[in-house]
Amino acid sequence: MKRRSFLSTLGAVASAAMIGAPAMAEDLEKVSLRLKWLPQAQFVGFYMAKAKGYYADEGLDLTINPGGPNLLTENLVATGSDTFGLSGGTDSVFAAIEKGLPITCIGIAHQETPFVFVSKADGPVQELADFQDASITTWFTGANYVLYAMLAANGLDRSTMNIQPQQVSVTPFVDGQVDVVTATRYNEYYTLMTRVGEENLKRFVPEDFGVSFPRDTLIVGNDWAAEHPELVQGFVRASVKGWLDTFADKGAAIDLILKEAPTLDRAHQEFMLDEIEKIMMAGAAATDGLFAIDMDAVGKAHQIMVDYEVLEGPIDLGKAFDSQYVDAIPAAERLPK
Amino acid sequence: MTAVPAPAGSFPAARRFGAVLPLLRGVLALAAVLAAVELIVIALGIRPYVLPRPSAVFEAILRTPAAYRDAIIRTGLETLYGFAAGALFGIGIGIAFSRLRFLRETVFPIFIVSQTIPVIAFGALVVMWFGNTILAKSVIVFYLTFFPVTVNTLLGMRAVDQKQVQLLKSFGASEGEILRKLRFPTALPHIFVALRISSALGLAGAVVGEWFGDTTGLGVLLLQGMYAENMVAIWASVFCSALLGVALFSAIGFAERRIVFWGGSDA
Repeated sequence: MKRRSFLSTLGAVASAAMIGAPAMAEDLEKVSLRLKWLPQAQFVGFYMAKAKGYYADEGLDLTINPGGPNLLTENLVATGSDTFGLSGGTDSVFAAIEKGLPITCIGIAHQETPFVFVSKADGPVQELADFQDASITTWFTGANYVLYAMLAANGLDRSTMNIQPQQVSVTPFVDGQVDVVTATRYNEYYTLMTRVGEENLKRFVPEDFGVSFPRDTLIVGNDWAAEHPELVQGFVRASVKGWLDTFADKGAAIDLILKEAPTLDRAHQEFMLDEIEKIMMAGAAATDGLFAIDMDAVGKAHQIMVDYEVLEGPIDLGKAFDSQYVDAIPAAERLPK
Repeated sequence: MTAVPAPAGSFPAARRFGAVLPLLRGVLALAAVLAAVELIVIALGIRPYVLPRPSAVFEAILRTPAAYRDAIIRTGLETLYGFAAGALFGIGIGIAFSRLRFLRETVFPIFIVSQTIPVIAFGALVVMWFGNTILAKSVIVFYLTFFPVTVNTLLGMRAVDQKQVQLLKSFGASEGEILRKLRFPTALPHIFVALRISSALGLAGAVVGEWFGDTTGLGVLLLQGMYAENMVAIWASVFCSALLGVALFSAIGFAERRIVFWGGSDA
């Protein structure tokens, strides 16, 4: 009896975890989307598309798998553990292609750099030149190169600067031990706003200094895409519809994500969704629509990675980024009504 | 139940109270500590993102009780499955090692090597092999629990007084009987020490295992709290983990008192 209940519990939990939702029609193709992080407003468009049945309409039975620290979405998609992925960004796509992972980027969610550098409005750092004598923290996972590029583009020598790796918390900045901190516009910046007050913060936006770093890339495995081009197309179409519905009714979207992760803070998620909307609708997306692949911006980000020798040499961007699926959807259908 | 009534056991009610008393004391001590922390935080004006008031933490738990309940159940099950498998495997292989020198000399070094790999290093592999299932997390718990149990079982099996073995042999006892009646009982206190250590390790393993892509569990709540620097949420999941850990530890202590009735490490 005990053993049986153990096994049935195990089975029930396992199948619930794998299927995620009650199985629908038999002929749906089972696929999965691996996110770059845990469920939050940053990804709610995909949950919306799933809840509204848009993936099912395209013949897909989609499971959304959350990401986490130390999980590399590119690896999971390349090995076939997941069908699609919302991966780190153009930087992680470059790295994956250089390593020879068989993946392709089929859409870019964040059209502009999703993070900014922040100083205090009444502090010693008022302009980029003040970075020279400041203590700066940033993430050494890509953001550091954006900072280097910003400094280089403005004739500043980073080798004499005090740039340290940033830990999880922004508390050292709040407490005044650090003058410049890196913050994603949708998460750390919110924490800073609640602790320091927005009026006391000064933002340094990479785009203002001629640097852009598009992130949150949609990827798919090459073999799977070659076998199921129509399903890849369907996935992109359904995702676009889900995101447009999200922006059309943000309240419902927040309700949906809080059902997915009830302990999240509603006010923070609302702020996050507002910022995500701005980032996703910026740049090329403003005219071409959601998930546009702006090869110009990609090329610039690529150049940064080559210049700082993160990549051993240039990679074939034409092969790494494939915009046929987003291009097949008319811009009008990828823009809010 | 016994012929000689113990003073506290003369009345069933009193005996039951006697069993509950330590628990009650523990709860009171915890409540006192929390109340003290609450007062200190208020008195010293400690900012909430350095240390939130315990009452704020409880409020957070009570605001979404279902989320925390589901997380405790999920993490508890992961730990329980992995821990049970790790304990049984550890005891079995420990006994085998003590009996089979060849196995000990060939397989044991591999076990040691396996334990030098930080779990965070192969977490991604576990996801690739087992997906986002409860099984994946239980495998991590298993990985962290089986080794201490193996080592202590082996140690315990070898801690037997050789004179006692010779005595049993002189009575014509078989190897199997000596194992059952002497070696294994001698090893039991050692095994329970390992089980206590493993229960804490296993829980930590389950929490970290949930960082490799999951949607429910205390590890997920912890990670979400850390990401948003929501100190209240972090402490709420820490508190729930502590509850779960204490429950596991006590359950093992209870089993130990029942099984090693002649007095083991808990005596």
